[in-house]
Amino acid sequence: MKRKIDLEKTVYAVAAIAFFFLLWGFLTTFTPVKETTPGPIEVLQLLVSSFYTPIGSKVIVGHLLVSLRRVLVGFSVATIIGIVLGIAMGTSRWAEAIFKPIFELLRPIPPIAWISLVILFFGIGETSKYILCGIGAFTNVTLNAYTGAQNVDPELIGCARMLGTSERDIFFRVILPSCTPQIFAGMQVALSTSWMAVLAAEMVGAQEGCGWMIQRGSDTLNITLVMVGMIVIGLVGMLLATLMRTIERRLCSWNIMEN
Amino acid sequence: MNEYAIQKRKEKIKFGIVSVISLCVFFGVWYLCTAVLHLKPDYVLPSPVQVVEAFFEKLTQTAPDGATLGGHILASLQVALTGYLLGAVIGIPLGIAMAWFRKVDMFVTPLFDLIRPVPTIAWIPLMILWFGIGLGAKAAIIFVSAFVPCVINAYAGIKQTKPVHLWVSQTFGASRREMLFTVAIPTALPLIFTGLRISLGTAWMTLCAAEMLASNRGLGYMIQLNRTLARADLIVVAMLTIGVIGTIFTVGLDALEKKFVKGGRRG
Repeated sequence: MKRKIDLEKTVYAVAAIAFFFLLWGFLTTFTPVKETTPGPIEVLQLLVSSFYTPIGSKVIVGHLLVSLRRVLVGFSVATIIGIVLGIAMGTSRWAEAIFKPIFELLRPIPPIAWISLVILFFGIGETSKYILCGIGAFTNVTLNAYTGAQNVDPELIGCARMLGTSERDIFFRVILPSCTPQIFAGMQVALSTSWMAVLAAEMVGAQEGCGWMIQRGSDTLNITLVMVGMIVIGLVGMLLATLMRTIERRLCSWNIMEN
Repeated sequence: MNEYAIQKRKEKIKFGIVSVISLCVFFGVWYLCTAVLHLKPDYVLPSPVQVVEAFFEKLTQTAPDGATLGGHILASLQVALTGYLLGAVIGIPLGIAMAWFRKVDMFVTPLFDLIRPVPTIAWIPLMILWFGIGLGAKAAIIFVSAFVPCVINAYAGIKQTKPVHLWVSQTFGASRREMLFTVAIPTALPLIFTGLRISLGTAWMTLCAAEMLASNRGLGYMIQLNRTLARADLIVVAMLTIGVIGTIFTVGLDALEKKFVKGGRRG
């Protein structure tokens, strides 16, 4: 019975994807859409050739690595700061009273809205990209660490305290483990926001990277390049999300949040 | 107990004062770094006073970016709401249909999973090509960004309906339709609202990107154009406006949620 359902699912999935490509192919060969939009075969050809023919200064893998480095630097630094700040706000009322108003003031501003100010401040070099990716990650991580640390079951803390655990141990063995799943949930979102922020930053001002690639395609009316860029960006985004989920399984196997 | 309450209130006042002081220090340091010490030139980091002045000036003046603040806000709202409403109106029923009808699920989910990982911002050049740089392209981009969270959350919401509830309604003779409308959808409502909230956030964020790349009006355009004019004070005004409007949206949605979602847990 189970196998029959699986088979049915596969058939439907294959049919759906075949339908998608056929529709795409049909629209781009027989309708006016073909004036503007390349078909699946052209896109596939460029995707394959972009691995050895450079676009601008680099082949596609080079652009990917540039974008990934920007994301990872910004994301890691922001995550560390965010976790520390979030947990501090969640556990100490002093920290909460001091940092929360400022945080709440800046939080609603989307990371992309920072682009102009950051570019004026730091130029269009690498620093401004790191910072934009960092802003993208920071709010999500901080917010999740904060609510995670705040919602630790007080009974657990009271229990540990009653049994004579030192405050340090309470922090490292009760509070930290019980907010880890929530922090990871925040990091998941943060990583995809960072990935989005780096694209925006590169589209606005850069000489290399995935965002630059699609912007360049758009500027030179090379729509095939735009679509290749979109495919690669989507694949890498998916890969990053899978990676985070794997790390999460390893690190908090005792408490996977069910979504 | 009474003494405890008084002490609690005292604490609340104390930390309230700390918060106010902290905000004052924040603005004080900002003022000190800019207006007094001039660590960075005005066109890079304006002082808070300049920002307030620019705000009032912008209420009536159209220079240098072609519209008053109100004009930009209206342009942005029009784009954002068009795209967002379309995304919600199409996304939520689609998510519900995907979760409720097995065949729709099996056919649409692979397609959805194919499109979903591409960040909305990457769609911008394609949408501009298809719809021009008018309202259409930007609304289409916002539509994509609002659509995805709506579908995912409506889907997850319907899927979390307890089979027992469905069985009970079936035992009492409910039709398939009644089961959907009286059991499954009310169960899904809190998650649907979560989807609406998330997609509002992403829509508002995507709007900035869309307006930065192709526009001649709107808050994102204001940010972008004033960078080339080196008017950092107007950039900060636009950023804060975006933040304030985003907050108003969130508060409004929360109020709607409280009104429509009965009982049950949130999120």
